[in-house]
Amino acid sequence: MDLVPAAAFGVASGVAPSVVPVPAPAEAPRRAAVRRAPEELHPALWLGHQLGRPRGDGVASGFAALDAQLPGGGWPRRTLTELLLPHPGVGELRLLAPSLAAAQRGGRLVMLFDPPAQLSAWALAQLGLDVEQLLVVQTRTRVLPGSDSLWAFEQALRSGHVGALVAWLPPRLRAERLRRLQLAAQAHDGAAFVLRETAAAQRPSAAPLRLALRAAGPDMLALRVLKRRGPPLESPITLALPPVLSDAARQRRRAERVLPAPALSVATFVDLG
Amino acid sequence: MLWIALHLPLLSLESFAATLTGEQAQSPLALVDAHHIATVNPAARALGVEPGQKRATALALAPDLLIGQADAARDAAALTAIAHAALAFTPSVCLQPSHDPSRGADTVLLEVRASLRYFGGPTKLLQRLRAAVMPLGHRVHAASAPTPLGAALLARGPRRVHAGDAAEMQRALDGTPVWLLGPGREHWEALQGMGLATLADLRRLPRSGLARRFGQAMLADLDRAYGERPDPRVPITLPPQFESRLELFARADSTEQVLHAAGLLLARLAAWLAAQHAFVRGFVLAMQHEPRWRSDAQVPAQTLLSVSLAEPSRDPAHLQVLLRERLAQLQLPAPTLELRLAAREIVPGEAPSGELFPSAASEREGLVRLVERLQARLGAEHVQRLQAVHDHRPECASATLPVDAARVGQRGASVVVPPAPLRPVWLLAPPEPLPERAAQPLLAGRALQLLSGPERIEAGWWDHALAERDYFIAEDAEGALVWIYRARRPDDGATGWFLHGRFA
Repeated sequence: MDLVPAAAFGVASGVAPSVVPVPAPAEAPRRAAVRRAPEELHPALWLGHQLGRPRGDGVASGFAALDAQLPGGGWPRRTLTELLLPHPGVGELRLLAPSLAAAQRGGRLVMLFDPPAQLSAWALAQLGLDVEQLLVVQTRTRVLPGSDSLWAFEQALRSGHVGALVAWLPPRLRAERLRRLQLAAQAHDGAAFVLRETAAAQRPSAAPLRLALRAAGPDMLALRVLKRRGPPLESPITLALPPVLSDAARQRRRAERVLPAPALSVATFVDLG
Repeated sequence: MLWIALHLPLLSLESFAATLTGEQAQSPLALVDAHHIATVNPAARALGVEPGQKRATALALAPDLLIGQADAARDAAALTAIAHAALAFTPSVCLQPSHDPSRGADTVLLEVRASLRYFGGPTKLLQRLRAAVMPLGHRVHAASAPTPLGAALLARGPRRVHAGDAAEMQRALDGTPVWLLGPGREHWEALQGMGLATLADLRRLPRSGLARRFGQAMLADLDRAYGERPDPRVPITLPPQFESRLELFARADSTEQVLHAAGLLLARLAAWLAAQHAFVRGFVLAMQHEPRWRSDAQVPAQTLLSVSLAEPSRDPAHLQVLLRERLAQLQLPAPTLELRLAAREIVPGEAPSGELFPSAASEREGLVRLVERLQARLGAEHVQRLQAVHDHRPECASATLPVDAARVGQRGASVVVPPAPLRPVWLLAPPEPLPERAAQPLLAGRALQLLSGPERIEAGWWDHALAERDYFIAEDAEGALVWIYRARRPDDGATGWFLHGRFA
């Protein structure tokens, strides 16, 4: 819950920043009294006269530049977050890994639905995820009538016992099925990500937060906010992902010196730069 | 003890009308038993049809009279549904035989003394009871009394009162007509001749004479009604599985006609679920086809329609909406004559939660239940966990294993993470061969730029899956990083460049 560093909110007292109450305007003089309120006991508690939910309710994404642009200061809870990708492998898991790992550190499970390719356990471990606390559900390997892929995801959302969920949705999904998932997500206290194809940006969606992802060079990711609860964002956010390339390789790339494809006989000299 | 009696005066007529379509049920109806009219509805009575007439007489009076056969099994099924609905209020529910020995039971008795406090008094309980049996579509006469037979007699009688104590019941019973007693009905004319109209008249007479003239059984019933003789009852038990069938009067050609009759079956299902304190997650409606059509080899014996729910429910309106949606998509291959409804997955009702916030233990329990449910539907092998394996070959370095539901959420030994190089998350299985132009690999027709490498992986000679590859990290035209390799040994038929992973 308290993944946001306290300094970011300038709260010096012992009150966790994620549970600072938002009093109604008329109640402002009484703010000091509200400060010692039941939110401290549990984040699900609030007083009847408070307006809205506590500030800073989001799950920190691990990227300060992104958190600053997301309503709630992080990935929203109890709703779907839609990420649109041109193809798998633009850096989406490096983007999500800090928030998924935080859910696991909180003792909760992370579930992945229909990942588009085989997952490498070592790579996930390198991203800070605990593979023991990870469940992969394959729903499209078996040809069943009906909508099993969404059924499983919906069940997991509805149960409310999963820490974080990532689902790769089938292409050309109808809007009403996404709305159904969005309703189910209300029971899920954590981040829920649905990954879809870029073409879905043209179609309406029930998800309150939609981001289009695009690679912006090696180890860089450009995010365009298509929809959020708040003013529209014109320029894309560019994030530096945890690097895959070594420093030397990156410098070489910057100098536009690209390795020539070595001939087979030369490849015996291994350059691990 | 306080017994509530629910008497169904029109049971057989209503259970017959349920097998008809909406407009047919409004037309003149009659039931025949052994070629004589047994029961008629008001529309038929207005045309002069009376019980006891011969079938031909009735048809002469009302040519468009709909005549159905009296069916004891059909009546019993309808009464059982009422009893199931009553079981939601008290565990001791029993059926009372009709006062006419030629007919089956027509009254449901409930002992509700222990339930009064929970439901907020007899008036509120009765309101809820009426609301519970209303979807089953029967006219119900209710009365209550301290004895079961007393309650049944009051419910059948002209004055349906709710007597709370013995004195009040005695006053009410005194005015009850004597012909409502089951035994001794054959002496009805003699009793009438003697001027004995009510039970009070009967009780004024000497008992020995009554017993000699009309039999001991009548006297025993009289005593039971007034509470002067013990009247033990055996409560009915709820079947563990629900299945109900309904034979249609006329064959249903369209799914709308099926839906009308299926509504009654769903109401019965809801009553059974309420008694079971359970919810249903799926049900199957079997539509039996007419044998004449079945001779055609194309037509199956029955059409099965299975409806499953994401959230367990027992709301008949909700279930009917779901059924209507599914029926609308269905094309019946042949007219159907008989419907059969079976509940497929019963979910016990949630026990009231004792905790304000979910604890770690309840969270884990919920998680285990979720995994079990996913495994049940998708197959255990499709709910997987990952395991890191010590192997240099990327395709062998992680294994997917079916997850053990009981161990979900338990922390295992943590994996010791090797330092760089960072591996790609996505691995393509099998690796995708890449075309080549001027010794440069191409991905989607655009040249890949090699940024880092080679990293040589040479392993697997021991298990006949030898990999001898030089891996490179390359950048595709859009700037994403991919992991490609060049096979070093062309002798196994695979030469050139391959795309093996994507850095996500």
